Amino acid sequence: MATTKHAVDLTVNGESAQVMVEARRTLADVLREELGLTGTKLGCEHGVCGACTVIVDGRTARSCLMFAVQANGCEITTVEGLDTDGKLDFVQQAFTENHGLQCGFCTPGVLMSVHSFLKNNPNPSEEEIRIELSGNICRCTGYQNIVKSIAAAAAASR
Amino acid sequence: MDKVTSAVRLPKDRSIRKGKWIGARVQRVEDPRFLTGSAKYVADLTLPRMVHAVFVRSPHAHAYIVSIDKSVLPGLGKTAFAFTGEDMREVPALIDVVTLETLLKTPQHSLALGKVRFAGEAVAIVAHADRYIAEDLAELLGQAIEYDILDPVPDVAAASKTDAALLHPDIGTNEVYRETETHGDIDGAFKAADQSFSLRFHHNRYEAAPMETRGVLANYERPDSQLTVWSSTQMPHFLGSIISGKLGLPAQRVRVIAPEVGGGFGQKMCTSPEEIVVPWVALQLGRPVRWIEDRREHLLSATHAKEQYVNLDVAVKNDGKILGIKGEFIGDGGGYSFNTESALIEPALAAKAFPGPYRLECYEETVAASLTNKSPAAAYRGVGWTASNAAREIVIDEIARGLDIDPADMRRMNMLDADELPYKSITGQIYDSGSYKESLDKALDAIDYPAFRAEQQRLRGEGRYTGVGISCYVEQTAWGSDSSAQAGTPLPSHDNSTVTMDPGGKVTIGTSVSGHGQGHETSLAQVAADGLGIDIADVRVLHGDTLTSPYGLGTYASRSAVIGGATVARAAADVREQVLRVAGKLFEASPEDLLIEDGIISVAGAPSLSKTMEEVAFAAYWDGGLRDEEPGENHQPLLSSTRFYDPPATYSNGCVVVLTEVDTDTGVVKLDRVVVVEDCGTVINPMIVDGQVHGAIMQGIGGALLEHLIYDADGQPLTTTYMDYLVPTAMGMPNMEVHHLETPSPFSIGGIKGMGEGGQVAAPAAVANAVADALAPFGARITHFPLSPDNVLRMIGKIA
Amino acid sequence: MKPAPFAYHVPNTIDEALAILGNDPDGSRLLAGGQSLVPMLNLRLANFDNLIDINHISGLDHIRIESDSLVIGALTRQYDVAHNDDVRNRLPVLSNALAHIAHTAISNRGTIVGSLCHADPAAELPAVLTAVGGELVVQSAAGTRTIRANDFFNSSFTTAINPNEVATEVRFDLAGGTSGWSFEEVARRHGDFALVGVVIQMTLEKNAISDVRIVVFGVAATPQRITDAEKRLIGQTLNDATLDQAVADVAAALSPPDDIHATAQYRRHVAGVLVRRGLLRALEDANSSA
Repeated sequence: MATTKHAVDLTVNGESAQVMVEARRTLADVLREELGLTGTKLGCEHGVCGACTVIVDGRTARSCLMFAVQANGCEITTVEGLDTDGKLDFVQQAFTENHGLQCGFCTPGVLMSVHSFLKNNPNPSEEEIRIELSGNICRCTGYQNIVKSIAAAAAASR
Repeated sequence: MDKVTSAVRLPKDRSIRKGKWIGARVQRVEDPRFLTGSAKYVADLTLPRMVHAVFVRSPHAHAYIVSIDKSVLPGLGKTAFAFTGEDMREVPALIDVVTLETLLKTPQHSLALGKVRFAGEAVAIVAHADRYIAEDLAELLGQAIEYDILDPVPDVAAASKTDAALLHPDIGTNEVYRETETHGDIDGAFKAADQSFSLRFHHNRYEAAPMETRGVLANYERPDSQLTVWSSTQMPHFLGSIISGKLGLPAQRVRVIAPEVGGGFGQKMCTSPEEIVVPWVALQLGRPVRWIEDRREHLLSATHAKEQYVNLDVAVKNDGKILGIKGEFIGDGGGYSFNTESALIEPALAAKAFPGPYRLECYEETVAASLTNKSPAAAYRGVGWTASNAAREIVIDEIARGLDIDPADMRRMNMLDADELPYKSITGQIYDSGSYKESLDKALDAIDYPAFRAEQQRLRGEGRYTGVGISCYVEQTAWGSDSSAQAGTPLPSHDNSTVTMDPGGKVTIGTSVSGHGQGHETSLAQVAADGLGIDIADVRVLHGDTLTSPYGLGTYASRSAVIGGATVARAAADVREQVLRVAGKLFEASPEDLLIEDGIISVAGAPSLSKTMEEVAFAAYWDGGLRDEEPGENHQPLLSSTRFYDPPATYSNGCVVVLTEVDTDTGVVKLDRVVVVEDCGTVINPMIVDGQVHGAIMQGIGGALLEHLIYDADGQPLTTTYMDYLVPTAMGMPNMEVHHLETPSPFSIGGIKGMGEGGQVAAPAAVANAVADALAPFGARITHFPLSPDNVLRMIGKIA
Repeated sequence: MKPAPFAYHVPNTIDEALAILGNDPDGSRLLAGGQSLVPMLNLRLANFDNLIDINHISGLDHIRIESDSLVIGALTRQYDVAHNDDVRNRLPVLSNALAHIAHTAISNRGTIVGSLCHADPAAELPAVLTAVGGELVVQSAAGTRTIRANDFFNSSFTTAINPNEVATEVRFDLAGGTSGWSFEEVARRHGDFALVGVVIQMTLEKNAISDVRIVVFGVAATPQRITDAEKRLIGQTLNDATLDQAVADVAAALSPPDDIHATAQYRRHVAGVLVRRGLLRALEDANSSA
């Protein structure tokens, strides 16, 4: 089949970018391979693990389940957009203080989920945190220190 | 068996200099790069002219490969590249190095040659500059392979049938090993027994499933004959040696880099066939080749773990004293007796570690393994011990119920006392020290055991079924020559760290223990900082690159804190001496009279005489007058030392207690509390230790309740996505309460014992015993994992 | 794990979408939230020559109460429905069911209508629609038609929508009077598809059951109504005898499949357990609404 390429305009972490890509290319692959933003991870590519979670127009999305062409004209935030010149933001800070990461592979997706979550629910209970976090798989931490980190981030943001 | 009084090799320098860093909850120095997305894993690395490799994998469990027609690929040899097992025929097969006379060997070609032995086995590899197109090509080539399908061998029972198809006809059997060893008067024990109890237990097959799948990037620079391989591996030096041997390249021309590794848990310690194929393709093409495993591929073909049949017969007195145990441990090795530790990796380690914290005086161990049409079995956190510990702790509870003894009392009666240690177990494992009863008592205190029992009775009256499960463990750590020999799988150990102080007074460490989430860069920096009296910010730890790290085996089997910590401590002690000699000359004082504190070197009793580390280091390199003309200890300016450590085996221990409530209508198991008491001797960073406990417990709970690699009767895998292979999520995990005991090892440098696996070893039995305890009124017995709702309803007879 | 190639179309109107669809109805697929479709494409379990992205069509994103219906547009995201006050007040069973479905990042994109059209036999939303009643509004070049919930689900992953049609909205019936509902399911993990689940909608008159729908899902190719039990419960109150009879009717009505997560016996047994619990809970809910 002919592989038509489509022009896709994106604003990623405040910077605009244009790429020419096949329709089948996922947003995750375009972020990672075309734009060099490899912080977004691919852990399962079928929408279960959450490692590829990014924020598209203010809402979290699995970037493995979106084609880049669908994000044409969208504003996207990835993990690379969180810190300010290397200074960790309040969520990142809470994660390092509470040992909320080990191998780091699930971390970018978790951070994006947490950002969106705390915006909608600044004062979550532990159960609400765990329900939300169930969309992100981690194999290292048993989730315990992630839950703790999220609670600490929520407290810090209040 | 016996209290050990001598004959253990003790290092001369048994101490680690402990200052403000060791034992402190230090935030991890590596965190910022992970939190900002700048950490680079293999999939994040790209090289010019790189091609993407995709494996074509067998759809059949067991078949001959009749033909592969590469000509179907458009652009073959120009834009599309493809190689098969025939193309790689000259590359020697992977093989295990276990030295047991009666163990049959089953070499594995990196790409299947002539025959496939599990669905998912790599049959060919295709490469293209575009990953998407490479996948199109792989699909095309997959359709151009003709197979001659053979009868499948889906499990151990099928493997041993007289008319079973043979996976490896050359060895004439599917059973690669079966031996029985007897310790003590086992027949006498059963004659003297009041009763005997039996358990027939099938431990499920599950796997590490790290968040980062496997991946390899290889680049061969022809002008320099230099191969560089980036792999998501736990053992970069070891992998380099294997690649060098298989591909016939001189070792100094093979550099292996483990960049960030997104979890390994033992799965990434073996040599994957793909780790040979990808570099070989790079050699053929003279172009960089990258292969990133996808999740389906991972579940199909990354090594599996943990499956065993454990059959126990236990001779007991009516008071609960165990007189002797017969144990049969049967492993399901999958399609090949894999290169890590052969198909015996599970059952052999299980049999040796089986006694655990108990006094066992008569023991018959039968170890066997069969090959089946499944992805091969290899290492995963708590190798062999998870099934072993589960079977032992489950049978102890069953005996306690049978004899109407409290399960905690049953354990206490048979458990080693602290003053019996060091102790040589009946299988030859030398427990250096521990706190077996203390950890059990502490865990039971934490839950207020008597109160739980009272409440349990009350709730049963309301038709609610709660249970408590106890699981005690001993965890063999410090995996060096001694430890591996005691485990029954001897492997010489040779790990090193280099500590170098530069002219600016800052320290760089190169270490052979290679981290993948454990925080080595922090804990080893803590050891060096205390050793040298400096801040951890002034220490940088390099690992995972054969060019910058001295030779060693890498990270597995809870060895890095003991070995890495000691090698760094020893090398740092040397550098400290070097620094003090230089400072002594500067101050015209004896080095013994000098102090280092917070990076300041001063003369004891004369605090005005002081210099910064930077000043002293600068002088060491740049002040030629401080050097001796003649070779001797003050001759060379370099402030550096490389030290080796091969520790005696150490054994950590602990106890996991789980409280559960079981819905006897739906079979749903709810975990109410998980209490862990762990003792790993001297702790370098308690925050990191806690994190290791949490993760290991979760993986154990996953295995007990959810995770299960399932094949159908045709050998077809049914759990090939994360929708079918269920790993724990945050909602299913209870909060874990971790308590610490600290019994330093009398054997190891600094008393460090190592940890990281105990949770995975002990948690499954704690869950199982809690469920069985809750369901005791129904006479429920645990026969297999996972304890799915379906399994639970069967246990209590609600469904047949 | 990358999808096979496809041609991508972005119509701005329904008519444009229908025209593209008309060119190759069988080789085309509509893309709304994509949360069920894209995994299948990535895994190459499905492959279409044309993907028609309907996300740019206006007028398909709405939640409205219209007399006796709750109307949800084809592009309305599950997250928005789950957090909508009208839905929470007027059709709480839907809000409740959505709490069992997927995770935020998925529900941010996944649509209600898309999930109904995907027709996964273990999915919650088809069961909810079957229980509360309602209809799908579908459009083709020939015009618009509606398909009642009971006629909508043909089999696993198969509905009564023709390949040349586009579903534009779903209309859930809103019960009046003294009515109650319940939603019960057992899943291996929170957010997973159910091993077995039950949705019940019940109406009371003078303390007796005047209407009840009992839908079991995860047990057959489509959500399954237990009509024998429904009929027998009319005019009854709930007591041990009527509940036991309902459970027996459930067991008789079902011949569920085995799969790797649970056996047929398990599903049959637990369907009965959940129906018993669900009936009591629906009754309680109805009484509290009275």
